Amino acid sequence: MLMVLGHHLRTKNEWDRVMRSEILFQQKFKIHGGDFVNAGESSIKIRNILKEIGIDTDIIRRIAIAAYEAEMNVVMFAQHGTMHLLVYSNKILLKVADEGQGIENIELAMQPGFSTATEEMREMGFGAGMGLPNIKKNADVLNITSTVGKGTRLEININLNSKND
Amino acid sequence: MTEVSTLHSVKIDKKTCIGCVTCMKACPTKAIRVRNRKAQINYERCIDCGECLRVCPYNAVVPITTSPADLGRFKYKIGLPSPVLYSQFGDNIMPHEILTVLKELGFDHVYDEALVCEMTGLAIEEYLDKNKGLRPIISSTCPVVVRLIQRLFPSICKLIVPIEPPREIAAKNLREEISKEKNISKEEIGIIHITPCAAKMVSINHPETMKRSFLDGAIAIREIYNAIMMRLQKASQPLWLHAQSPISGIGIGWAIPGGETRGMKFYNYISVSGVYDTIRILEDVESGKLKAIEYLECFICPDGCVGGPLTVENRFIAKSNILRLIRVFGDKQRVSSSLVKRLYNEKFFSFEHAVAPKPFAPLDKNRAEAIKKLKLREKILKKLPGTNCGVCGAPDCITFAEDIVLGKAILQDCIYVSTKRHNRKERHGEEKN
Repeated sequence: MLMVLGHHLRTKNEWDRVMRSEILFQQKFKIHGGDFVNAGESSIKIRNILKEIGIDTDIIRRIAIAAYEAEMNVVMFAQHGTMHLLVYSNKILLKVADEGQGIENIELAMQPGFSTATEEMREMGFGAGMGLPNIKKNADVLNITSTVGKGTRLEININLNSKND
Repeated sequence: MTEVSTLHSVKIDKKTCIGCVTCMKACPTKAIRVRNRKAQINYERCIDCGECLRVCPYNAVVPITTSPADLGRFKYKIGLPSPVLYSQFGDNIMPHEILTVLKELGFDHVYDEALVCEMTGLAIEEYLDKNKGLRPIISSTCPVVVRLIQRLFPSICKLIVPIEPPREIAAKNLREEISKEKNISKEEIGIIHITPCAAKMVSINHPETMKRSFLDGAIAIREIYNAIMMRLQKASQPLWLHAQSPISGIGIGWAIPGGETRGMKFYNYISVSGVYDTIRILEDVESGKLKAIEYLECFICPDGCVGGPLTVENRFIAKSNILRLIRVFGDKQRVSSSLVKRLYNEKFFSFEHAVAPKPFAPLDKNRAEAIKKLKLREKILKKLPGTNCGVCGAPDCITFAEDIVLGKAILQDCIYVSTKRHNRKERHGEEKN
């Protein structure tokens, strides 16, 4: 449908409008860096929404893990951030953006066991270096962009009609 | 009581219920509404936790359990008490005495479940040893926890340890042995659990992991408490049941949190009790936060089975009694490990089939419709005061909004809306923003 409409929609805004029309549901959640007390709340809210709209249990499990890990990364390494849940007819997209220290070497950060967590965080049971690998494992597509000193953006895509085991 | 559906463990006595909102507020799955001044349970959402039973100030929530009078229909009756029973009669009465008295109440045989608890613990250990990978593995003992997972956390059903709880294993074994020993058919044997909660009744009538439960019924501890107490007081000499195997200290511990893991060699386990704490911890499990934990024991009742709504002794004293019994009988292993290993390999302890996810129905079967309803619910919620007063007959504003969306209530049921008090204030506030 978009292909056909494509040549009529010249400006970026028009494109965005059409793309947005595909979004069935969206909600933004704020995440506060360093707030370990309320850490994990947004990912609980997200999966409660998904349960209420009848998303498959296996997909909810994957989103639950990915959302939680992403939320914890913001809590641990950023001042603040947002998690944006977008439900499309064929996929779920979680956009996580933060203003924080950023990732120096994304390839390294993706390696299981690699972590820049402080001693204190490790003592609290965090920072095992499994965050990003776990997100990747549970996502169908994961995009990461990061600027050191500015922040990190994650786009976690989970398809609604495919299984990823 | 027999005419009531066997699907659930509690019912509302319409005569006694005055329509206060206590049970509705306490229900963790928001299964109760008050309509026409009477509480109503939506059995579709009920998980049999017994919170309503616990809080009702008018005793209008009635547990559905087997009546002792029903025992007559079995030719050979076996009493299988939960170890919780041992904690109910003060601190100088021993399990053997309680079993003896229980038998006198009309059972042909009574059996100490504690020994099987110990066996089950070893079987769980065997399972943990042989199945590395998914963690934490969650106990299957509390039938309400199993149901809660099926309904609220369906994606973690596969973490439930696929081993039957001790009451089922004991009953399975007893039925085999007694029918051989006494030469009676298995159907003529009635095995009755003496239970601290009504949820066991549901797990017996509608088991989640097998075709038919090995148990035939469950009598509430509080229903036979008086009869046992009277006989205990009357007994002039120490009561001693002949030829009963030694009582297992490890097994008795199953009546309180931490009991299942006490006998295990694994150190990385946690035990949680109480419905809200259990929900909290299962949320963490769903997030994948507790992967470092080997085994998770959850009990819906506060302080585990000794906190069951159908017990008599207050749970703190009961807990102390259990701890004392554990000291008396010791941590010595009474069950042979090689026997448990053999039975484990024969799948004697195993579920017939896995626990199936049974998630609560979404707002609509059609996803687009469900999303519409979700948005509508948010919209309605903004018109409501957010005070969660319960006057509308729903436990809180968001549930009320949901009821409206689903066509089960109308906006005018809200006293704030119908008197237009809140409305005006809200509009005023919105204009400012």
